[in-house]
Amino acid sequence: MTGKGQEPEIVQGRSHIWRAEIIRDIQAKAELGRYQIRGFSTFQKFPSLDELVFLPAAMTRLPLEGYRELCVSETTIGGGRPDLVSQPLELAIPVYLTSMSFGALGTNAKMALGMGFSRAGSATCTGEGGMLEEERDASTRLIYQMTPSRYGLDLEHLRKADAIEIVVGQGAKPGTGGMLLGMKVSEKVAGMRTLPVGVDQRSAVRHPDFLGADDLQVKIMELREATDYRTPIILKLPACRVREDVKIAAKTGCDAIVVDGTEGSTAAAPEFQLDHTGIPTLAAIPAARRALEEIGMYGKVTLIVSGGIRNGVDAAKALALGADCVAIGTAALVALGCNAPRFVEDYHALGTEPGACHHCHTGRCPVGITTQDPELEARLDPEEGAERVRNFLTAMVMEMTVIAKSCGKGNVHNLEPEDLRAVSLEASALTGVPLAGVDWAVGPETFGRGG
Amino acid sequence: MAAIAGITYLSDTRVEVDVDVVERLNRELRRLNDEGVTEVVMRNPRSRHNLAVGQGAGLKIVFDGSCGYYCGGLNNGAVIEVARNVGWGTGEAMASGSISVGGSAALGTGAGMRGGLIHVKGDCGPRTGAAMKGGTLIVEGSVGYLAGFMTHAGDLIVLGNAGEALGDSLWEGRIYVAGEIRGLGNDANVVEPDDDDSARVHALLRAQGIDGEFPFKKIVAGQKLWYFDNRNPEAWLKI
Repeated sequence: MTGKGQEPEIVQGRSHIWRAEIIRDIQAKAELGRYQIRGFSTFQKFPSLDELVFLPAAMTRLPLEGYRELCVSETTIGGGRPDLVSQPLELAIPVYLTSMSFGALGTNAKMALGMGFSRAGSATCTGEGGMLEEERDASTRLIYQMTPSRYGLDLEHLRKADAIEIVVGQGAKPGTGGMLLGMKVSEKVAGMRTLPVGVDQRSAVRHPDFLGADDLQVKIMELREATDYRTPIILKLPACRVREDVKIAAKTGCDAIVVDGTEGSTAAAPEFQLDHTGIPTLAAIPAARRALEEIGMYGKVTLIVSGGIRNGVDAAKALALGADCVAIGTAALVALGCNAPRFVEDYHALGTEPGACHHCHTGRCPVGITTQDPELEARLDPEEGAERVRNFLTAMVMEMTVIAKSCGKGNVHNLEPEDLRAVSLEASALTGVPLAGVDWAVGPETFGRGG
Repeated sequence: MAAIAGITYLSDTRVEVDVDVVERLNRELRRLNDEGVTEVVMRNPRSRHNLAVGQGAGLKIVFDGSCGYYCGGLNNGAVIEVARNVGWGTGEAMASGSISVGGSAALGTGAGMRGGLIHVKGDCGPRTGAAMKGGTLIVEGSVGYLAGFMTHAGDLIVLGNAGEALGDSLWEGRIYVAGEIRGLGNDANVVEPDDDDSARVHALLRAQGIDGEFPFKKIVAGQKLWYFDNRNPEAWLKI
């Protein structure tokens, strides 16, 4: 078995059906006898937030001074139920770090992200591997994730958390559990998950003690009882039947809902799931908003969106469509050093190049982020990484606030669908945002003017 | 101390709590524990959910009826006794302490428990001991389907029968069944426990007042689901 570059390349022929990558894929499966697994996110091109543009103020409204005037970015998660949540999660910015486990990431990466997001006034999420002590110490605000496998689930960790996230699924691989290949199941990772060292861990997808929304309602109350009604409880859903799923999720009594679009990344997933399951974030946000509006819960249950959010403009568009907050993963890892042109020979050994690496699943991350190998991990300095992450978040929020001010908004949360226009038929049809120029939306439901 | 409606002090260390009356009951139990109370008798549980959740060591909690879902959930050292039946998720994620159930339990008993002891004198529902990470779960009756699903560690001991898909996708948990097994789950294998193993399990039972010799079958992982077939790390670079 060799990596790319040591075998003759398959060339692209004239067929649009039997493209070079299709032929390579079949050949690999024929050799391996299993589906392909990789990290990163979908390689499909879906309609995206790029197909929306903002309509800043001109004659119909007044912009704020983009380089001077203040614009509020503070964000509260779980503030809609003071009777059930005494300490909502208060963030300085509407961006936090999505769930990525210790196991998927190494200790240094966890620490760097914790420090970086803390310095920006935001939060990180443990992911499914349990609460890593180093991350708890690094993150001033930490969301503790509870997955079906219940790795390392601990009452004291629940009580140390600033929010609790119950996983129903994730956008990268909806309908299936987590995956961590043996190369990353180190002694420390295995110990936290009560697993044999080196197994190819494939997690459960159904929780062991509830099956449906009615049971989950009771489960949420159990967690509130255990934590004395202090922290918000978040439900993380993959973007699938969003309009129905979000309504049912709200019925459980959770305080916030994450809708994770198909562009969401992973450290390891079957490739066919990455590319062919779930719906794009662009389509998921308005569906989630409408779902909450229809049951009178919009603004009461915090709506968090993740999956392919790359910068402040994406985040601002998500907020304008209806999100209260976004969660990022890959963007933060790239800020940390993922795909940076360092140790290039190690990218080549993986058969890839800086900028094209998606080999998180191998545990051989050239820049020491998605690895449990101590030598590779040592390549990431947590302090330097934290500063890059903080810088990136600062830039991201600057982008968001400048956009908001250009639209005449003194608060990023005042962005609204009316501030957007679609520049493709697909984007208009998926969102209900009117097409640019004609102010007419494709499809049965319209945001803002037109119709 | 100020009198709280529904809480009656029988002595400095023993109180009676009316579940019908006391609000935020688990917080009250923790407060009583902090105060030095060592035993609480819970009247009128009426199968309510989330009773005795997240309690700590040093407190014995006795229910005089049945409890609903998640009784003793996230238990961290309390000794809990339920006279009659319990609902789903009893003792889920328990770290230490014990839960004794006089009647039967439902789905997900001991799910994800990490330590301590659960002893059910009647039957248990499906997914008993699913995702267990440690501890001992003894069922004197029978268990439903998918018992021991993905059990990581600990002992699930069943004196009665087991339903379908027993021990599906088992990790290193140990399952012992004295009665009939309706069906094994994926990658579950039946082996004969050796003498030491059998002696250890019988000792666990005797500690709970269960005497007698039981003809246990032991269910262990075949380990075929632990790994993808191809263990060559280079194989992961095909994509």
